[in-house]
Amino acid sequence: MSAPFRSSGIRSTPLRLTLILLMIFAVAALGCLAVAYEVTRGNIDATLEADLEQTVSDYRAIRDADDLENRLSEAAANTDPEVRILQYLPDRGARISNVADFPPIREFAVVPEDAIKAGDDDDDLAESYLALSVRVGRGQLIVAHSREQIVEMGEVFLSVLLMGLLPALIIAGCAGAWIARTARRRIDTIEGTLRDLTGGTLSARVDGIEGRADDLSGIGHRVNQMADAQEALISSMRQISADIAHDLKTPIQRVAVVLDQMRNRTVLSDGQEGLLNRALDETDRIVRTFQALLQLAQIEGGAVRDRFRPTDLADVARDVVDFLGLDAEERGFVLTIDAPEDGTAIVKGDRQLLSQLITNLIQNALTHALGGGPIKVIVAQGLGGVTLTLSDQGPGIPLAEREKVLRRLYRLEQSRTTEGNGLGLSLVSAISHLHGALLTLEDNAPGLRVRIAFPAPLSM
Amino acid sequence: MKILVIEDDASTGAYIAEGLREEGHSVDLIANGADGLVQATIGTYDVMVVDRMLPGLDGMSLVKTLRATKNATPVLFLTSLGGVDDRIEGLQAGGDDYLVKPFVFGELSARIAAIGRRPRTQGDPTSLKAADLEMDLLHRKVTRAGQVIDLLPREFALLEHLMRRKGRVQTRTMLMEAVWDIHYDPLTNVVDTHISRLRGKVDKPFATELIETVRGSGYRIREG
Repeated sequence: MSAPFRSSGIRSTPLRLTLILLMIFAVAALGCLAVAYEVTRGNIDATLEADLEQTVSDYRAIRDADDLENRLSEAAANTDPEVRILQYLPDRGARISNVADFPPIREFAVVPEDAIKAGDDDDDLAESYLALSVRVGRGQLIVAHSREQIVEMGEVFLSVLLMGLLPALIIAGCAGAWIARTARRRIDTIEGTLRDLTGGTLSARVDGIEGRADDLSGIGHRVNQMADAQEALISSMRQISADIAHDLKTPIQRVAVVLDQMRNRTVLSDGQEGLLNRALDETDRIVRTFQALLQLAQIEGGAVRDRFRPTDLADVARDVVDFLGLDAEERGFVLTIDAPEDGTAIVKGDRQLLSQLITNLIQNALTHALGGGPIKVIVAQGLGGVTLTLSDQGPGIPLAEREKVLRRLYRLEQSRTTEGNGLGLSLVSAISHLHGALLTLEDNAPGLRVRIAFPAPLSM
Repeated sequence: MKILVIEDDASTGAYIAEGLREEGHSVDLIANGADGLVQATIGTYDVMVVDRMLPGLDGMSLVKTLRATKNATPVLFLTSLGGVDDRIEGLQAGGDDYLVKPFVFGELSARIAAIGRRPRTQGDPTSLKAADLEMDLLHRKVTRAGQVIDLLPREFALLEHLMRRKGRVQTRTMLMEAVWDIHYDPLTNVVDTHISRLRGKVDKPFATELIETVRGSGYRIREG
């Protein structure tokens, strides 16, 4: 099975959409603000220009040069240079101004504060001026009006930006992240359900979609419908195979009865008795296979879980090793167990099934690790729960075959000739799965190591 | 013993009835659940053999009904199902033992004998005796003809189980269930190996064999 794909961070669709939306919002807001600033500034400039032209034309209306100079001197004396600057440079005579120096310009110009020298050190100047220079009478008149309004407007726009847009962006960002997380969580729920379904938990369903009518709930509903259909199909298939196995047991019982009666009630030659015993052995094998198939169906049905209780796995393993130890010894194996004696290796499960699981694992090792050798059973209590490990030094299972051997009736080419029905490891797998345990087949170099990690009892 | 067999499959029913009659029991054979319940209520039986799947009334309901009327006749369930679950359900419904089809007759006969005689438990003995073999249950000591025999705990349990049922056949599955608490198919005849180890200590050094093999069934301690 491939590693489960987990989308996270920037790969998460809702989060990415939120970020894009925020960026569009920020750019649009900044653009609007910039346009508004430009338009307003243009308007103010136009008003200032009109004002300057009006002032200039007022002075032009004065025909008499002395009168003009008197009027200008008076105006310059009474005008605050921070608001308005007047400078008249007559072709002959003294300069009239309310500042010390104003740079020469042509017609309209924006003049910054630095370019102007104030007449008196106490005089404040504005940050920038819009100035108009024209010829009036016999001299050059410069009238400059403070652009303080525009500078102030710029500051207003900046504070609008700081106090309005930034908080809005932060709020939108937080809300977006929250919405993205909610959506992410719902997607995760669907993803988790799909993972459980592909992992074999057919009862997994997407929760929390009742009473909602959005697209994610729609997908959830579809997933649930698909899972229902799949579960119904598989359970009917299981039912059919269980029914077949069950229905065939009655005729097999009859055959067994007839053979048993034949053996007990008729006088047979040695050859006949040998054949009869072989027939009885064969019926016995058929029965065992059916029995295992029926049991598999029952375990996969999951109803046994209701009977689970805390069970000392070390104790179960010791009993099984004690029971099978003689068998192993007779066949040239050394079966050893390493398990805690203090009753701490507790798993939540069914004692019979756990016992059967260990029996099947040991039987598997006894059958396939031809010629004997050590077989080790280890029960260990770790942080995550109890782990059962069984290792032999037989031929092991090639990497490519490890998943297949857990399937029903699957047998490796090399073990076709050995006894067994190909259901031993399927049962081990089914029992592990029922207990929520993780089964892994590893290379013991040489041999096979089977590791079964049970979850801690509390987390079940 | 007087035995009621309720089994709908004619050939299995006939096989059971015939075999039990040959062993000297008196047998009534009924083929459906409803009639079986009536028969069980009006007749008095020592043991009942009840198939779990029956037409009319299923075996579980039959036994539950029977137990509700304070009828305590020992019941052996027969079943085609064989999961751990089914066995426990059967025992919870009031069954005394459980046998999965197909079975050989020896297994059925041994189990009927076991449940049929069970009520006659005479307290808890402190010692068991068979011929010159003695088991002191208090001090967990085994002697034969005055000689002390050292047994491992499980060997002791196995011998104790056989001694307590002296003269009665114990099948391999019965021993597995009682001594090792194994209620599934362990895919091995290792019980035979355990018995042969036990024989090596209990029988081999002595003149007579006390642990007897019963062909097609199991083992028993010779009476005497």
